[in-house]
Amino acid sequence: MHKFKSWSRWKKGLFFLTVFIILFVELFPIFMVVTTSFKPKLQIWTSKSPFELFRPTFKNYLQVFKDRNFAKYIKNSLIIASITTFIALFLGSLAAYGFARFKFRGNFLLSMGVLASRMIPPITLSVPIFILISEWKLLDTYFSMILAHISFSLPYVIWLLLPFFKGIPASYEEAAMLDGCSRQRVFFSIFLPLVAPGLVVAAIFTFMLSWNDFLYALVLTSSRAKTAPLAVSEFIGQFAPEWGMMTAAGTVFLIPVFIFALGLQKYIIHGLAFGGDK
Amino acid sequence: MDTLNKIINWFTDGSSNKLSYHYFSRKFTPMAFIGPALLVMAILLVFPLLFSFKLSFQQWHMIEQASPFWIGLDNYFELLANKQFWNSFGLQLLFVVVAVSFELLIGLLVAVLLNREFPGNKIIRALLLLPIFILPVVSGLTFRFMYNPQYGAINYFLKLIGFNSIAWLSHPETAFAAIIIQDIWRMWPFMFMILFAGLSSLPEEPYEAAIIDGASRWRTFLHITLPLLKPTIMTAIILRTVDALKAFSEIFVMTSGGPGNATTLLSVHIYKSAFKFWELGYSAASSYMLVFIAMIFTVLLVRNMFSE
Repeated sequence: MHKFKSWSRWKKGLFFLTVFIILFVELFPIFMVVTTSFKPKLQIWTSKSPFELFRPTFKNYLQVFKDRNFAKYIKNSLIIASITTFIALFLGSLAAYGFARFKFRGNFLLSMGVLASRMIPPITLSVPIFILISEWKLLDTYFSMILAHISFSLPYVIWLLLPFFKGIPASYEEAAMLDGCSRQRVFFSIFLPLVAPGLVVAAIFTFMLSWNDFLYALVLTSSRAKTAPLAVSEFIGQFAPEWGMMTAAGTVFLIPVFIFALGLQKYIIHGLAFGGDK
Repeated sequence: MDTLNKIINWFTDGSSNKLSYHYFSRKFTPMAFIGPALLVMAILLVFPLLFSFKLSFQQWHMIEQASPFWIGLDNYFELLANKQFWNSFGLQLLFVVVAVSFELLIGLLVAVLLNREFPGNKIIRALLLLPIFILPVVSGLTFRFMYNPQYGAINYFLKLIGFNSIAWLSHPETAFAAIIIQDIWRMWPFMFMILFAGLSSLPEEPYEAAIIDGASRWRTFLHITLPLLKPTIMTAIILRTVDALKAFSEIFVMTSGGPGNATTLLSVHIYKSAFKFWELGYSAASSYMLVFIAMIFTVLLVRNMFSE
């Protein structure tokens, strides 16, 4: 299985060729986003080959940030995602601790309920949430978006943290409790520092979940609380698709993704796999 | 933090009194931790779900009617008789089955391929992860750009290997294939990552035994790797399936369900009936069908988790 070094030259060559093809296919759309964002409009619409040379321009970026006020939508997205992450993480870590550390009647059923609610497609909730939010006259506010985003991120946080919390040995906490510490002091001063890496993973993924949301932005916002993904989708109208502006915005979104995927790889695996793993 | 401690103290014993500690800790402490989250989920999840359950027995055209009225099971009858609903239902299942099978196949092959020490392995794995973290809307729009028959990159490659260019998003079959290709491109690395993590944590001993027995590589894979990896594979399939049932934004921005209804998956159908035709009762009823499918997979996931 692991005998790479003993392979013949041909075999190694074939191996790297395959790896190169896979990487090429996976990275090509990203290459398209980045290069198109620096292309002049006319060339985007007439270019015969994606590898055609072009004179780089920042016009698309200027248009996105100056004419379309994109910074405002990024700000909206950041505010909504940060508050959602904070609340979901706070409530979620408390709940996951409760599920992981206490024996009580209904523990299993309730934690299964949390799992089930993670599985509910958001489109199902979008209709009732839209009706309730519009009856409460809260359409197009940060508040309504945060509520909607908590509805899907809270079960996600609990389910992500639960297996992680269960894996932490209880001996520290027991020792502290024998010394007379209360449960809540144990949680805040002993347990939370122990699980800090897990909380970082949960925070990153919750933030991303909220940041990626398009459906609720489409249903609940129109101008004041409009988020970045919805704003990007509006660059592509029915008739004159502004690919340059779309890809410029897309490139801006790629920067944190690059830092994240290249820098925090081992945390990511944890976050992805624990979406529902034991 | 202080106020919170006070609130928790109020719910629990709040003292080091042994007796009350024993009594209260069993009864109330768990609720002090879980309660706030349960309350929020009751308001933001359970209540809207019940609201929409009630709505599914009502007729409410939000623009024409001031308030809903009861029609019993009519929404469900309408749904069962509606060709468009069954079309979406079928497309949704086909989308999930085709996309997830390809993602599993590619993910497994690449995981086996890359499961060895070679120069650059870490950076290659990290690069493969990038598509997962791309904003779904940007992914959908980028593919729409690349599918363009005049200046799209995909047709450039097709012509390069001698095919004619295709107006991907203008024909029903190719449009459906197009949304699946986008999903496979973005999500097979997810399968890869989970399966890779599973593969690299498999025990060594069975393989040593297989080498001694002189088993071929293929037989080793079939009879040792696959059975050992089965729980991981099942988890990966179910997680991806549930996520594929949620697919909406990338499809909405690529095709908005068209041409005709060729890519109107159940989620798009629900969206359209609610926010385009304002048939809120009907859309609530059809969204319960989607919940029903999602719950089947949840039960499978739970059984898979506890059968080990």
